Amino acid sequence: MASISLLNPKAEFARAAQALAINISAAKGLQDVMRTNLGPKGTVKMLVSGAGDIKITKDGNVLLHDMQIQHPTASMIARASTAQDDCTGDGTTTTVMLIGELLKQADIYLSEGLHPRIMTEGFEKARDKALEVLEKIKVPVEINKKNLMEIANTSLKTKVHPSLADLLTEVCVDAVLTIANDSQKPVDLHMVELMEMQHKTDTDTQLVRGLVMDHGARHPDMPKRLENAYILTANVSLEYEKAEVNSGFFYKTATEREQFVRAERDFIDQRVKKVIELKRAVCDGTDKTFVLINQKGIDPISLDALAKEGILALRRAKRRNMERLALACGGTAMNSFDDLQEEHLGYAGVVYEHVLGENKYTFVEDCKNPLSVTILIKGPNKHTITQIKDAIRDGLRAINNTIADKCLVPGAGAFEVRAHNELVKFKESVKGKAQLAVQAFADALLVIPKTLAINSGYDAQDTIVKLTVEDRLSPELVGLDLGTGEPMKPTDLGVYDNYIVKKQILNSCSIIASNLLLVDEVMRAGMTSLKG
Amino acid sequence: MNHTREILTFQFGTYANYVGAHFWNQQEANFVYDDPANEVAVEQYPNNDILYREGRNEQKQTTYTPRLLSVDLAGTLAHLPIVGELYGNYVQRADEAPTDDIVEKLKEGAEQNKLSTSGQLDVLQQPTAPMSEYQRDLLKGTLNTQDKDYKLAESCNSWADYLYARYHPRTFSMLQGITRKSDVQSLATHGAGVEMWHSTAFNEDFCDRIRQYAEECDALQGFQLLFDIDDGFSGMASKCLEHLNDEYTRASYVLPLHYPQNISYAQADMRTAHSIRVVNSVLSYYHLSEQASMFTPLSTLETIWRNSSLKSRNLTGLQFQANNLYQTSAVLAAYLDTVTLGFRLRETSESLMRFCDRVSPSGRKLTAASLALPLGMQQQQDLIDYLNVADSNALLTQLTPGCEPGSSYVLQSLVARGIPDSRLKRPLEQAAKQVQMAAYKCDSVSHMLQLYYQCNYHSSQTHASSTPLPLKTHLPFPYEIFNSSFASNGFKLLDDEHRSVEQRVASAPALAAVQNSSKLGNHLDALHGQTHRIQLAKLQSYSQSGLERDEYETALEQLLEFRDNYADAHYL
Repeated sequence: MASISLLNPKAEFARAAQALAINISAAKGLQDVMRTNLGPKGTVKMLVSGAGDIKITKDGNVLLHDMQIQHPTASMIARASTAQDDCTGDGTTTTVMLIGELLKQADIYLSEGLHPRIMTEGFEKARDKALEVLEKIKVPVEINKKNLMEIANTSLKTKVHPSLADLLTEVCVDAVLTIANDSQKPVDLHMVELMEMQHKTDTDTQLVRGLVMDHGARHPDMPKRLENAYILTANVSLEYEKAEVNSGFFYKTATEREQFVRAERDFIDQRVKKVIELKRAVCDGTDKTFVLINQKGIDPISLDALAKEGILALRRAKRRNMERLALACGGTAMNSFDDLQEEHLGYAGVVYEHVLGENKYTFVEDCKNPLSVTILIKGPNKHTITQIKDAIRDGLRAINNTIADKCLVPGAGAFEVRAHNELVKFKESVKGKAQLAVQAFADALLVIPKTLAINSGYDAQDTIVKLTVEDRLSPELVGLDLGTGEPMKPTDLGVYDNYIVKKQILNSCSIIASNLLLVDEVMRAGMTSLKG
Repeated sequence: MNHTREILTFQFGTYANYVGAHFWNQQEANFVYDDPANEVAVEQYPNNDILYREGRNEQKQTTYTPRLLSVDLAGTLAHLPIVGELYGNYVQRADEAPTDDIVEKLKEGAEQNKLSTSGQLDVLQQPTAPMSEYQRDLLKGTLNTQDKDYKLAESCNSWADYLYARYHPRTFSMLQGITRKSDVQSLATHGAGVEMWHSTAFNEDFCDRIRQYAEECDALQGFQLLFDIDDGFSGMASKCLEHLNDEYTRASYVLPLHYPQNISYAQADMRTAHSIRVVNSVLSYYHLSEQASMFTPLSTLETIWRNSSLKSRNLTGLQFQANNLYQTSAVLAAYLDTVTLGFRLRETSESLMRFCDRVSPSGRKLTAASLALPLGMQQQQDLIDYLNVADSNALLTQLTPGCEPGSSYVLQSLVARGIPDSRLKRPLEQAAKQVQMAAYKCDSVSHMLQLYYQCNYHSSQTHASSTPLPLKTHLPFPYEIFNSSFASNGFKLLDDEHRSVEQRVASAPALAAVQNSSKLGNHLDALHGQTHRIQLAKLQSYSQSGLERDEYETALEQLLEFRDNYADAHYL
């Protein structure tokens, strides 16, 4: 009798073996769901919800979220997978697979009487060893276009069709390299704007070396296209807000009230005038033009005044675009117009508007030295765009991880095979029953190449034997060629994974698996105990 | 230059969406495409552009959708696709039409667009979400609002079941991962809501939607915010309001809504649930007293917080089930629509800001709601006679729980609807006794009401406006709540007459007011009194969501300070 039932006789609980069985079966179940997603040959799923919403995805994380998991164990694993995504942007499916497999392997020994505590100790040792192996096999890389293309391509090929992956790879790498501007530091990915455009007939993804905004001028007379433009970015309100609430607006007569209103209005007009003065100073007599991009509002009267001067004015820009604009065009974002100088202005070769249905887009292009860029995704419908967007996000993360790590790990299951072999050797040096745990860990790692093989239509056992034997014989790493089902050298084919992804997976999986193994009592108690 | 002064509406939480759905249905019921009889002058129609935006969808059709952002738990949308039904990007699923062809086509399209790694796609179709009979008929175009009984009161599971209005794709944000449960409120605490607001996945997207709406507006005048105060949505709304003030500095009229039933929370007994409700209210009031321009708590219940009897307010002429979400929300929506009508009329100089300002002087931001629906005027009776015989206190029923503004030192703003000018008084030749009444010199409904309250309420100030447009009460409004002593036009029948069973009430006159007086301090006292019994440390769900003791204590202090605004009885 569990102690909880003394306190609360209604509590539901499961002990020892039963508790473990619950956890293990949940992990296995989840693994089964995700299995088919792994690797470039994994299947992509189109989800049609009960209400008709469409979603296309291959991302383990998205699927997990969509399934709205209720089982406590499963949701714990799902959370590990989410953490993996937040941290590295890749390897979510792998995380679920590995946790499931670790529990599955552990179950074999536990059912023969091994204590879970010994199991987890062994897991810890094995993990440390595996990390050692990872450290040993990582390949330092130079940050150049070729290497980045390889890593991005590996990542993207697991998300979309190879031919689309090639296009996206180019776009992603160019985007990051433009921003990085020869520095060897990871870039702020917020400075890559992902803009989507739903277009009936067009599917295309392109890199815009500048900025695309999802709004346009709100005045019919404003120019639709400007060349050689000065860009003024500002966070200054250009709209007249009735100030009655905030300040006591006391007046005796109607004319007095009029005066107050006019004075208030004047205040805004002064600001507009300052912009116009600056425009006249820098543009008049030259072929230069002027664009104002404001984070705050601009009311119709101000718009009118600006339009008369041929100024293109945009209101309510994204807060983050202020930062992006300063990086893309130069200049500084102004918080007041009191001391407005030419040096505060940015520059863009061309600014133009594009109208699509009820949406307007403004392109700011041909910037001198853009440190912020936009990836423009065009697609015929929402789910297509979302899927491409997700892929791009992961591609960018992979590139950024590489720049941060300055090293890569050969992919195609090569690391897992090598780690397996090393762990089997290492097992001998471990004392006592913990050996068994090391063996379990080693076997669990093989789930990755195994699943890759199954998803590509090859025999799992066949492949594993081939790979492990090949790996033992060759000093170089050996991975699985998904095209032929034969062992190959991933370094030759340029199949690489991120170092940080693998490291994160090893760490989080062993910890979650250990925690789940150590659970010896599951209880559900509380006032609203959910019966049935 | 005269620009539309737009208002952006927010709905946080399930009950808020219930009320919202009725509110938008009411708007659409009042759309007038052409009025051949021309009974009502143009300026007495609401200016729909204030609440609605015009757009164009992919098929180049013009759309007219509310400026609305709605947040709710996953699962409340039922059959509605999250992108709305006007802009494509979803598969129409109904029982009759097989969707396999469309899905197959989509699949091919996706494969052509190289979205799949191997050129193949697995299609996973979830079973079609059940659709209410009302929605099915709406979809087929066979809606019958005259004779058919859709039994919405009994069968309605979610506000999506009776939503006539159609929304823009920007409107819905569903909280992924937090699913609606039938027995417990999944997002329970103020703290959990705050956390949700700050989560990057939600925050960035949601703030961007606000920005896109604001960008479209030429002269945004403010925001109208409905939220469930009993659960975690209160936290989300508080944070949203803070964001709005930081970014847009506009007037905001906030309506916290109390469920007409005691909702339960995970791992909480009655007592704990009660404590959670009180803490949610305390924290919300703390934020609202600082952030909102004015707030009016709404509920059909008489009292809240420590309330086991769940006694409902009793509106003369209405019979509704006290805990029915569909019916009670309709009453609240009728209030909201009526009271805000004043500044939404065409060619009015009123604005949301002045509306708020007028009844909430010197920091008395908490105001009370009261409604008369249906107005007890008899068929053929004139307003002047009705007011003459009406008991001064019985005209309006309070809709803010635990608030009785009294009848002296009251500031109020009131809107009457559905009383045509012809029903004001008799012409001079037929006037008979009416001439002797002081009110006979009044020429308009608003004028007469103003005079009425001047006489009945001691040193009070009333602002009244009116429109002859009645409240439309045909489906999907719960027409069944009117009892049989009212005719189908919403006026009272003579004593022994009854409306026949087949006849439904199609429209009704109504009177709604927002009131303020020093007596509202009692409401705050009542709330503060509840907090003595609360042991914060014992509220598990709060300690989990990281509520700091300090924050709670600040909120309590602020509540007392806020209450002081209501102390001075001499102030009008």
